[in-house]
Amino acid sequence: MIPTRLRTPLGIAAAVVAVAALLLLPTVADNYTLITVSRVAGLGLLAASTALMTGVAGLPTLGQIAPYAVGAYTAAHLAHLALPGLVQLLGAAAAAAVFSLATGAAVVQTRGVICLMVTLAIGELTAITAGQWTSLTGGTDGMPRVPATPALPGGENLVKVPDVYTYTVVAALAVLAVTMLVLRSPAGTLIRGCRDNEARMRASGHRVSLTLLWTFTGAGAIAGAGGALLVSSQRTVSPSNVGFEVAALVLLAVVIGGAASIPGALAGVAAVVAVRDTIAPKLPGEAPLLLGVLFIAAVYLLPGGLSGVAARLGLHNGEAGA
Amino acid sequence: MIDAYLIPAVNGLAYGLLLFTVAAGLTLIFGVADVLNLAHGTVYVAGGYVAVSVSDGTWAGLGLGVLAGAAAGLVSGAVLWAALTPLSGRGHLTQALLTFGIALAGGALLEKAFGADELRPVLPAALDGSVDLAGHRFPTYRLLFIAVAAVLAVAGWLVITRTRVGARVRAVVDDRDMVAALGVDPRVVLAAVLAVGGALAGVAGALGAPILGPGPSTAPQTLLLSLIVVVVGGLGSIGGAFLAAIAVGQVQSLGVVLLPSVSPYLLFAAMAVALLVRGWRGRGVTA
Amino acid sequence: MRTRVRTLVAVTTAALVGVTATACTGGDEGGSGDVTIGFVASLSGTYQTVGEDMRDGFQLYLDTHGGKFGGRTVDLRVADEGDGPATATPAAERLVQQDEVDALAGIVGGGSYAAIAALAQENELPLVGANGRPDLPDNSWLWHTSYISDEPGIAIAPYVKDNVDGPVYAIGPDYQGGHDELRGFVDTYTQLGGVLANPDGETKWTPFPQTTDFLPYLNEIAMTGAKAVYCFYAGKAAVDFVKQYAQSDAADIPLYGAFLTEGAVLAAQGDAAEGIRNVLNYSPDLDNPANRTFVAEWSAKFPRQPTTFAMASYDAAAVLDRAIATIPEDQEVTSAAINDAISGLGVIDSPRGTWQFNPTTHSPIQRWYLRQVAKDGEMLSNMLIEDLATVGN
Repeated sequence: MIPTRLRTPLGIAAAVVAVAALLLLPTVADNYTLITVSRVAGLGLLAASTALMTGVAGLPTLGQIAPYAVGAYTAAHLAHLALPGLVQLLGAAAAAAVFSLATGAAVVQTRGVICLMVTLAIGELTAITAGQWTSLTGGTDGMPRVPATPALPGGENLVKVPDVYTYTVVAALAVLAVTMLVLRSPAGTLIRGCRDNEARMRASGHRVSLTLLWTFTGAGAIAGAGGALLVSSQRTVSPSNVGFEVAALVLLAVVIGGAASIPGALAGVAAVVAVRDTIAPKLPGEAPLLLGVLFIAAVYLLPGGLSGVAARLGLHNGEAGA
Repeated sequence: MIDAYLIPAVNGLAYGLLLFTVAAGLTLIFGVADVLNLAHGTVYVAGGYVAVSVSDGTWAGLGLGVLAGAAAGLVSGAVLWAALTPLSGRGHLTQALLTFGIALAGGALLEKAFGADELRPVLPAALDGSVDLAGHRFPTYRLLFIAVAAVLAVAGWLVITRTRVGARVRAVVDDRDMVAALGVDPRVVLAAVLAVGGALAGVAGALGAPILGPGPSTAPQTLLLSLIVVVVGGLGSIGGAFLAAIAVGQVQSLGVVLLPSVSPYLLFAAMAVALLVRGWRGRGVTA
Repeated sequence: MRTRVRTLVAVTTAALVGVTATACTGGDEGGSGDVTIGFVASLSGTYQTVGEDMRDGFQLYLDTHGGKFGGRTVDLRVADEGDGPATATPAAERLVQQDEVDALAGIVGGGSYAAIAALAQENELPLVGANGRPDLPDNSWLWHTSYISDEPGIAIAPYVKDNVDGPVYAIGPDYQGGHDELRGFVDTYTQLGGVLANPDGETKWTPFPQTTDFLPYLNEIAMTGAKAVYCFYAGKAAVDFVKQYAQSDAADIPLYGAFLTEGAVLAAQGDAAEGIRNVLNYSPDLDNPANRTFVAEWSAKFPRQPTTFAMASYDAAAVLDRAIATIPEDQEVTSAAINDAISGLGVIDSPRGTWQFNPTTHSPIQRWYLRQVAKDGEMLSNMLIEDLATVGN
């Protein structure tokens, strides 16, 4: 029942169609559509990271925004050093991984609502730091003018919208492909085992906390890569990009998609961004109302995904202890 | 030297008691009904708005405001009950999402109804000034608020410790399976705590409006502070919430005088530490 | 499992198509008018009232000028800035990429301004900002009708130095805009030989936007023996600061500020605001023909008093109107033509008095005014006390 596996011929075919559609989009779509989708790429990795922790590893989190922030600011600094996109991506992922390794030691000791709140606290502390540490982050105004850089050393600067689109989408797909491969490996089985039956895993000699710590570190790296793509697509970063609102938005997207599924999380992000960036602007000032209604509708209209998630998380009252 | 800290300390007490009045409802709803209500801050704001709109500078207007705030809280509780009942057994994440959605949509609707400005009630002239407190000026209303909130807190403490309802509440918080053992319909329990918690938040909104007035950013701010209080105090513990609220009030007030450079971080750091200490103790247990 | 995967990929594709479809059908590119203007302001969030004043000011100018700038029909596209760059950037991108606007205007926050400025520079679109404005190095396409954030403090510092007999306490919100505002005052004041009452000689920063309770700070101010307080607060924080000030130990210390009592906050502050002296580039009771027209037009439409926010956006519309008017009728109105025309504008007759763009900062060289809150009949109002310096050179 793990939808992160794309082993069936039909699943692979569907994935190929989706990827092909993404890569061919620049030939048919206008610049605004491309910009919007390329913004989904960064947020999509953040959502994938959240889905990995919440659904696959069973630790519900509001805090993946923190490594996302670390990645975004790291990438912005690397761009100021005129380093190419690929270096920004890897540097951001590495910095975010180190950050997650440091904070993860505490997080993986918690479960359920406590985990949700510890990660909320970490996310908020990171956002406060982003606003306060002016010399590093530009303070509350952020870093508004990140210079354009090439994707690979010696390439052309990513300025034109279709170029930016292609780079962010290809980079996001590459990160996602690596993630999916890892989840299909024995490591993935181990992670899901920790979620599904922690006690048995412990009894059979597995070091659950260590497994979760490495998962948390990996998820942090994915979020950090997402932060780098945010910087590549919008060329600015500020505390409002890494605040609680974005964290909540992404958690909503993940739950809409069915928390254990990475493709689902991406679909969720696309839906949420569609509301925020294409429908809401037509009704200036109504975005909070629209999002609120979307949350409520998601709860009632997508019960399957939600209760499935809840059961996996051990948050399901009826199946407590799962 | 003590003199320099007197006003911040008294002020922190007023702030802490306000937070306690809000957070008591939140922790009750969590402890008894196992619902994480992220719309609690919005209930506070709703209470504040109706109290401001009936305030007219008279004592009767002030009293009416408190009643209207309580009524708004009850109505909000009923709305939440109607929204949450179909989701029984669907878990914390679902409840959190639903109540977060209600908070967003409700906040937007309140803003449409009452405008985007942060509002303040018109207080009776006798309260709208300052009094002498050991040689310092202190807002009259805040002093009265401390008295009223203290009465509320004592009354709540008596109900929890001395009455049969209170004993049941404590039993349920300690062991949730008690709800079934008591033979009470869980839907009735949910309705009761949402009503009481909502009314408390509504009253807090009405009484707190001159201190933390209703406005577009008040709801998330109140919710975040009361979440910290509830978490630091121990989920579901009213006594713990009281101590935590008083502490948070002092961090917000004395903290900015004593430790100005770290005060922005203090609250969330306290929350993380409290959670982790408890997390390590209850290691591996689903909270 | 197979169906689950298929469904999910289908959902992904469908959502993607949904984004594409809404995005593609959303814009009727080029617009219906001869010139398309994008206006960005906070229509939700903390600064909603400021954003609405700005939108109304811009719209008022357009409505009272036949819906035309320089004889060309204007297609105005309004976008919601929200609370900062995270919402402002997509909103502005939509105006640029989808609505293909010829020029941008508005913007409440300095952070949003910095982000949108980058977009405007890159796409070579003139941006006529009308409120918060950080100092940016590269501004060939950037124009401004309000002021640079450190100017109010620069304008009032000499007055405070001359009229306050003793040290002054400086306090402000801990974000970029607050730092800029306070730096203007503190630097000028200390250069003139003034001494801060702050114990460490540094401005006191209050966490923003979390701080709602200023009493502990006010108590501390009273302890320093300051002879006056200078601050910058706007919106909700201004209400809390002023109300609590009047009920604290600091109540008897004269209070000076930038903004502080401007706009909707004054009603919420109530009597606590009476007597506060503040510096601004506008006052509704200024006696000049342009202001009389503006106030009359505004009052006919809105029950509230006009603010500097509304005035600066009204002027942003005036700048665009006058610039476009200089483009010959047989010539197409392009972004580059508008930008060139703006740089050629001379003195602008405005409700605030006359002003002109500084050729390097692209921000107004304008007169500042000292105002004091007083009862105007039943209503509290900011009354003009005297003219201060002309700043912006």
